[in-house]
Amino acid sequence: MDLRVKLGRLEFRNPVILASGILGLSGSQLRRVCEYGFGGLTTKSYTIEARKGYDTPILAYVKCGLLNAVGLENPGYRELARVKESLKDIGIPIIVSIAGSKVDEFTTIASYVDELGFDAIELNLSCPHVEGMGLELGDDPNYVYKIVSGVSSIVSIPVYVKIGLHRDIMATVGKSLDGGAEGITAINTIRALAIDVYARKPVLSNIYGGLSGPAIHPIAVRIVYDIYREYRIPIIGVGGVSSWDDVIEFILAGASAVGVGTVIAYKGLDVVREILDGIKTYMVDEGFKELSGLIGYANK
Amino acid sequence: MHLKGYDINILRFTWGVIEDILSHSESIKSFNIRVREHRHINPGQFIMLWIPGLEEIPLSPSYYDGSLMRITVMRRGPTTEAIHKLQIGDRVFYRGPFGNGFNLSNKGRYLLVGGGYGASPIIYVAHRIREYGYEAMYVEGVKTRSDALFIDEADSLGLNTALVTEDGSSGIKGLVTDYIKEVISEYDYLLGCGPEGMLLKLLELCNRYGVECQLSFEAIVKCGVGICGSCELYDTGLLVCRDGPVFNSKMLSSYLGGV
Repeated sequence: MDLRVKLGRLEFRNPVILASGILGLSGSQLRRVCEYGFGGLTTKSYTIEARKGYDTPILAYVKCGLLNAVGLENPGYRELARVKESLKDIGIPIIVSIAGSKVDEFTTIASYVDELGFDAIELNLSCPHVEGMGLELGDDPNYVYKIVSGVSSIVSIPVYVKIGLHRDIMATVGKSLDGGAEGITAINTIRALAIDVYARKPVLSNIYGGLSGPAIHPIAVRIVYDIYREYRIPIIGVGGVSSWDDVIEFILAGASAVGVGTVIAYKGLDVVREILDGIKTYMVDEGFKELSGLIGYANK
Repeated sequence: MHLKGYDINILRFTWGVIEDILSHSESIKSFNIRVREHRHINPGQFIMLWIPGLEEIPLSPSYYDGSLMRITVMRRGPTTEAIHKLQIGDRVFYRGPFGNGFNLSNKGRYLLVGGGYGASPIIYVAHRIREYGYEAMYVEGVKTRSDALFIDEADSLGLNTALVTEDGSSGIKGLVTDYIKEVISEYDYLLGCGPEGMLLKLLELCNRYGVECQLSFEAIVKCGVGICGSCELYDTGLLVCRDGPVFNSKMLSSYLGGV
């Protein structure tokens, strides 16, 4: 049985990758995560300057998922040299997520990432809880083009654009591809709010946060399906994966790789093995030998 | 380890009402909280305590019996300052419990060591150890006599106790780790919580004397469930909130090398 998948120029031993924002603050964390069987890893979003992130609470429980407002906490992009050093023999693709507010911030970090020898870049143009560094960038297709073309023209590694629930998703995707993106990561968390009824206050210190978990999964599947149908490009599907069948669903919709995040809060890192076992059982039961044959299967 | 699943329900905030307040010293207070909802809390596990409008902080209860939870808080920042101003009848919110507590599945002789307000989970584990009927000694290390927190409570549990003060104002004079060195060989297990320097010294002693230890580490905890990565223990990749806060000597030695 072959779980390998190709995502554009990248090849993964299996399609399950760590989504950005989960445990990607240091090389030692990513090393540890890798031991649990992921096919690839995405770092947290790195910015030019170090960011402390928001005050707690940064996490809020809701019935159908989680809300978070971490605030793009990271040690600043220069730290990526140390991250790369500690991951040099890791053997699986590492995608570096980048956040910023101006084109030159993205290009500065991207060229550094390329120089360091990472495998791919993910431009976070959809963080729903940091003003000026996220969703509104991705909402403006012309600015998306400027950022993506600025980055794509100076790096040799693949560039992915992480999108969210933008005003016109297809315009954002189209301009990303015009700008030279090899593919799309869809979707980021969705801007949302939780109020504790006994405290009678918003739970998150930032008030607004990003909704993740099962609630957003069908929305993410819809967006992956639509993008694949329109463009037939490499897609990393992310959003509310809680078990193996959610991964298969993303792949059938058109994703070549699938990000996992929130479920780790509930089930721990070992959930990766559970998901991979589930995928293998499914392939045996349904008579598939190569997982890559299922990419976009429901979309033909 | 970062393996076990959580009941999703513990991520939700619940609350309790302050029933009693005890001032141990100028900077340390204990609060007895009548909880609204029973959530099983093992000694050494922690909750994320939230005062709406302020930050949320990790605390390892110093006692819990299913309906009464005691937390012991040192004043050292705006949030703990606000907690110190709370009154009887006020509500406090929390989610959890999170993390791994102390493992008491092995029968044997236990040496319990608390440094400063790190004595909180240690006095809670002392209550549990007494229920189990294990042989144990409770040692508390503080700077001066007025900083002692739970030595009388440990006495009343019928445990052997020792208070070690740095200035010699009461009990044994010196560093708690120097005292532990003298008695450690009489015990099978050591459970400790306190400042980092003390914990690393205890780990070294346990390795030297062949005593298994479980040590509770403190860290800046934000998400509490092992996804944000803020509480990494040194550069090990281990997360205090999910792999800890209690780590055993085997795990610590393999990740920290030859401490």
